[in-house]
Amino acid sequence: MNWFKQIKRLVNEPVLFAMIIFVWVLLIVFVVYPILMVGLKSFESKSGVYSFDVYKTLFSKKYFVTPIINTLRLGVVVASISVLIGYIFAYSIAKVNIPLKGFFRTVATFPIISPPFVIALAAILLFGRNGIITKNLFGGTPPFEIYGFWGLVIVETLAYFPTAFMTLEAILISISSDLEEASLSLGSSKWRTFWRVTFPLSMPGILSAWLLVFSQSMADFGTPLILGGRYHVLSVSAYLEITGSYRISYGSGLAILLLIPTLIAFFVQRYWLSKKSYVTVTGKPSVAKVLEPNVYVKIIFTIVCVILVFSIFLFYGTVLFGSFTKLWGVNHKLTLENYRFAFTYNWDYIKDTLFLACIATPLCGILGIMIAYLVARKQFPGRRIMEAISLLTFAVPGTVVGIGYLLAFNQRPLLLTGTAMIIVLVFIFRELPVGVQNGVAALYQIDRSIEEASLDLGSSSNKTFWKITLPLLMPAFFNALFTAFVRSMTAISAVIFVVSGKWNLITVRILGAVGNSDLAQAAALSYVLIGIVLMAMFFLRFITINFSYQTKIRRAMS
Amino acid sequence: MKRFLVLVLVLIIVFVFAKEQVLHIYTALDENEWPIYVKAFEQATGIKVQVVRMSSGELLARVEAESKNPQASVWFGGPALDQIAAKKKGLLAPYKSEAVEKVPAAFKDPDGYWVGIYFGAIGFGSNTEQLKQLGVEPPTSWYDLLKPQFKGRISLAYPYTSGTAYTVLAALVAIMGEDKAFDYWKQLHKQIHHYNTSGSACVTQAGLGEITVGIAFAHDIITKGIDKGYPVILTFPKEPTGYEIGAMSMIKGAPEPDLAARFIDWMLSAEAQSLMVKWNRIPINPEAKVAPGAVKMQDVNVVPMDFEYFGEQKDRLIERWKEEIEYGM
Repeated sequence: MNWFKQIKRLVNEPVLFAMIIFVWVLLIVFVVYPILMVGLKSFESKSGVYSFDVYKTLFSKKYFVTPIINTLRLGVVVASISVLIGYIFAYSIAKVNIPLKGFFRTVATFPIISPPFVIALAAILLFGRNGIITKNLFGGTPPFEIYGFWGLVIVETLAYFPTAFMTLEAILISISSDLEEASLSLGSSKWRTFWRVTFPLSMPGILSAWLLVFSQSMADFGTPLILGGRYHVLSVSAYLEITGSYRISYGSGLAILLLIPTLIAFFVQRYWLSKKSYVTVTGKPSVAKVLEPNVYVKIIFTIVCVILVFSIFLFYGTVLFGSFTKLWGVNHKLTLENYRFAFTYNWDYIKDTLFLACIATPLCGILGIMIAYLVARKQFPGRRIMEAISLLTFAVPGTVVGIGYLLAFNQRPLLLTGTAMIIVLVFIFRELPVGVQNGVAALYQIDRSIEEASLDLGSSSNKTFWKITLPLLMPAFFNALFTAFVRSMTAISAVIFVVSGKWNLITVRILGAVGNSDLAQAAALSYVLIGIVLMAMFFLRFITINFSYQTKIRRAMS
Repeated sequence: MKRFLVLVLVLIIVFVFAKEQVLHIYTALDENEWPIYVKAFEQATGIKVQVVRMSSGELLARVEAESKNPQASVWFGGPALDQIAAKKKGLLAPYKSEAVEKVPAAFKDPDGYWVGIYFGAIGFGSNTEQLKQLGVEPPTSWYDLLKPQFKGRISLAYPYTSGTAYTVLAALVAIMGEDKAFDYWKQLHKQIHHYNTSGSACVTQAGLGEITVGIAFAHDIITKGIDKGYPVILTFPKEPTGYEIGAMSMIKGAPEPDLAARFIDWMLSAEAQSLMVKWNRIPINPEAKVAPGAVKMQDVNVVPMDFEYFGEQKDRLIERWKEEIEYGM
């Protein structure tokens, strides 16, 4: 269909036309414009003067070059280790017959529902000079320096390996066992079959997982702020430039430097890798056990899984214990004092966070599904670009988004600084890609003929959407809602730039408490946050199960 | 879609236009301290207050960033240095009430841009258990910090985020002269474990034993270290040390100037100033109570500090610090 026909059709459907315009306006104002502002600001060396001076300074002064190198180094190491562990874990779950699979799987995804700096907090409680492990196992001398590179590697690996694990698990499950069986029956050993068949087939997944974790590590803010010590990374340097020194141009320049590798990683992962897929999808997930390794390898795999699961328990357990202690490191008598403090002095933070996330989540879900619908089902000029832009905030580090909002919305006509609105908007547009991606994926699975039937029978495209498509999209919608809610509740890197006196967030408070070494208070607040997220999870799962079309159909059929 | 649009519209209306009369304060005081005064003020006057806590340097940056559209009316606490820097940048509004006139001239701005609330001296908070382990006496000189036993065991904050740490930098410049102070800090830098964003964080870190010596204000060391039950001891350098006049000011273009004035007046009253006992601060109002263990100006050897000069020179000194020290080596 050519552009002319597309536009002609649009004019005949004013609602659709209005929707497209509406989405475009939102995307341009709240996604493109703030990011452009960061770019623009980085060229403004003095007020009103534009030049390359900021970048010249950034690359000539050691105090800017160091963070750049540090960030890349950290990202590469964290991504590599996470992918290695994630692969072993995913392989164990997908291909090997190890005990307690479901349990391992659940535990492995636990770090996703809590902000990464909870793990950082645990790292201090465990491996600091006065940490439990340091004191009891190493006699007071830390086995390694937790503040700095290795501390960051451990914490970020624990926080982000679930991403690698889930990506790789999906890939491994989708590899048809036919090929492996064929290789085996042709006389290849298991080992050879793995290296010649399974491993090459999972290569796209490995690269994809690597790039995802790499971007997450680069964009991480809370962990290096707490645990960086003297190891400076870009996101923290940009934050300190802006909040500590008010040199917004330099902060913006650093943010742009942070943006470039993550953007490249994102687009490589998304467009290049997804096209060049080796995966042999057969439609049905196969759970073949053909490649189950010999017993020794199996034991090693199981040990890796057990160590990992044990670490996750250890880290989260420590924080839980810490939240009940009177004074960490001195008086370990158990007390509810920290929780009392959380619910009295810090009640406003909890209330505000919940309130803002509850407003943002449905709006984010609705907008996400709306964009997914337009992109996956409708023909109009600029469709691909709309999809790319709506996914952009996935690739853009929170720090950049936060600085962008700070710059873009501090003057009329879009004066939003200090309002709840700006926080809600950050939540919505940061998490928008989740809804879009879930929605697009779901829509591709729903046969078009169902909608076409409705259209052929005379329903408008509007009615078809409300009556046919939307109900089918419900599971994806609720999934998007949950992810958006969790990510909003645990967000820090973007919102730290836009919080204000009227509206404050629990993550910012936790980060402040950790920064101030009020560890027991921070631990209690972290668990309040985790509690809220868990409750939301059960609530949304309940809704999804009870109200989704699929369940209704299944019930009707049985 | 109509429903969605209506919802968005309603939200815009609710959030943009619903403004209640509330006093907005930015504070550099500890998250566990500011409620002491703010809650008492709310009870005494019935005025509602909303507070955001930031480090003093971050507060300066925030006020500067918002200068076109100020979000808070009062800058509450933290060394006067940062507020002088703010005054020089034209970010503050002068306010002189009767309450301010009672304050001795040394503790306020002659033009009324800021007024002192408390006095505090810089000291060392050391973990006694670690001192014993390392076999070393608590530091009583700036040069004691350079002892090999303390290598990688000292922390303080970034001078650009924290008013405490900038006071340390300014004091060293006042004591040693600028070039010597920077030479000294280059030595000190090698001893430092890491820098914090908040000035009093190192006290708890020393208490926990994460580090051995923290450089901070005496009142923070007493309150957050000794009084909490941590094994912490407070010492002062025998050379002079630096000090702060903790100050407050009205932000230029304050959205609630009347409420801000009432807060400043109230905060200078003997009643409010007596509450500082809880944090071991030395109140400016001579009628107010002083905590028994608190460190008064005459108890320590303080260097005379030209606050005006250091407020003005902040950007330059910080730039030099970053270039020569933080990333210089």
